Amino acid sequence: MKDWLTRAGMVCLGLIVLVALASVVNLAGDPDEIVGPRLAPPGPGYWLGTDNLGRSMLPRIMEGIATTLLLSSVAVLVTAALSAVLGIVAGYRGGVVNELIMRLVEVLYSFPAIVLAILVAAVFGPGQLAALASIVLVTIPLMTRLVRAAAVGVAQRDYVTAAIISGARLPRILGRHLLPNVAGTIAVQVTYALSVGIAVEGGLSFLGFGVQPPQASLGVLIQQGTTYMTAAPWMITGPGVVFVVAVLAINVVGDGLRDRFEPRQARSLV
Amino acid sequence: MILELDNVTVTFTAGPPFRREHVHAMRGVSLYVAEGETLGLVGESGSGKTTASRVALGLQRPTAGAVRFEGKPFPKRRRELAGHMQAVLQHPHWSLNPRMRVGASVAEPLAVLGEKAPDRVHEMLERVGLEAGLATRYPHELSGGQRQRVSIARALVTRPRFLVFDEAVSALDVSVQAQILNLIKDLQREFGFSALFISHDLGVVRYIADRIAVMRGGEVVETADTATFYTAPAHEYSKRLLEAL
Repeated sequence: MKDWLTRAGMVCLGLIVLVALASVVNLAGDPDEIVGPRLAPPGPGYWLGTDNLGRSMLPRIMEGIATTLLLSSVAVLVTAALSAVLGIVAGYRGGVVNELIMRLVEVLYSFPAIVLAILVAAVFGPGQLAALASIVLVTIPLMTRLVRAAAVGVAQRDYVTAAIISGARLPRILGRHLLPNVAGTIAVQVTYALSVGIAVEGGLSFLGFGVQPPQASLGVLIQQGTTYMTAAPWMITGPGVVFVVAVLAINVVGDGLRDRFEPRQARSLV
Repeated sequence: MILELDNVTVTFTAGPPFRREHVHAMRGVSLYVAEGETLGLVGESGSGKTTASRVALGLQRPTAGAVRFEGKPFPKRRRELAGHMQAVLQHPHWSLNPRMRVGASVAEPLAVLGEKAPDRVHEMLERVGLEAGLATRYPHELSGGQRQRVSIARALVTRPRFLVFDEAVSALDVSVQAQILNLIKDLQREFGFSALFISHDLGVVRYIADRIAVMRGGEVVETADTATFYTAPAHEYSKRLLEAL
């Protein structure tokens, strides 16, 4: 059952990535080109209908997926790198360094995600950079805490003590002993953070602080779709479905990864 | 003298500043390990054995008292002792990095010193009774006894003058224990290192140690030659320990 679900998640995720790649070469047409009447229902030439300017929804959704996925992925990689360093140093060093890093992270953790995102947008000005920074700030606390927890456990193991006794310097201990042994935790958290990242991008762009039109992102498309929800439901259905499928698929894959890397931890509800 | 602990006290503090609690892990402990000998350190858990080993390895600075290695006070920077002292620790399951090949683990003390000598790694693996081909395996492919042999190889690869065995055989089966103890004895004859052998198991210590020190509540209550200790223990606590054996 579990295995089946993980595989389904991976297939969905694979398809989404393929669609994103296809949009880069405008496989389904130019997302900014006006191809038909405004708010036309699905038909030949525009298989998912058109939007309020007469642009075909299919290439727009594809561009939206690409934008959102790229933005979230880059942000999550930044988070992973920062969290790995912060978490491992805090977990291994303990003491004042640990207190400093963890209290700082907790301050971030105490902000609701969207409030933090709006704050960032106010500082950077609305746009992709604001969305990127928001995703990093929203995902960094949880990942850092979990990496630290894993690092605390690894730091007490005998092979770390043996390395210290041998006279190993800090970079070797952290790089050769700590990092490889918390990498599983990081991999699992990266998938969860990716789904959070997509949600934050969606929320921020929906509010108009993230990706700016005419560039499409899932958040931008959903925001535009809500305006015409009754007149042209196809405008919100496509991006909405993709959004839900993407977040679900990533979470399911994350659960599968977790069961593989951390088999002794509690299973998910599914 | 390879190692001397002179009136060493280690105090741990815990709790908030206004209600500090002091725990004496070691009180005025004096010990020495002579050239080529094995000192067995026994005592129940919480007696301060492990703290003593941490002090001996320079991982724990004494609150009071002095530690001398080869007649000289401990250097300020632990790294200056790199390669001169090593340890074999308790858990065979965690003694080797699961993400590193066995060969890389054994080579690590050399790598720390900036040396590269793959042939020494292979030679060392064979000296501890393993095939050199094991160097390319990962620890999870090895048995507990094999892993502890790898730990010994790692500890000896820099030819240290002093080794600490902290409950090094306690987690192993009795038959494997005997093999490892014999291996340690053989290697000691060959390499001539001095050792501090810490265990709660009096039978094991009797087999391997030249002299025995008994710790209780952070103090050394008795030090004696192994033969003397097992036939005529002087301290009341030693007698009770031996009776329980």
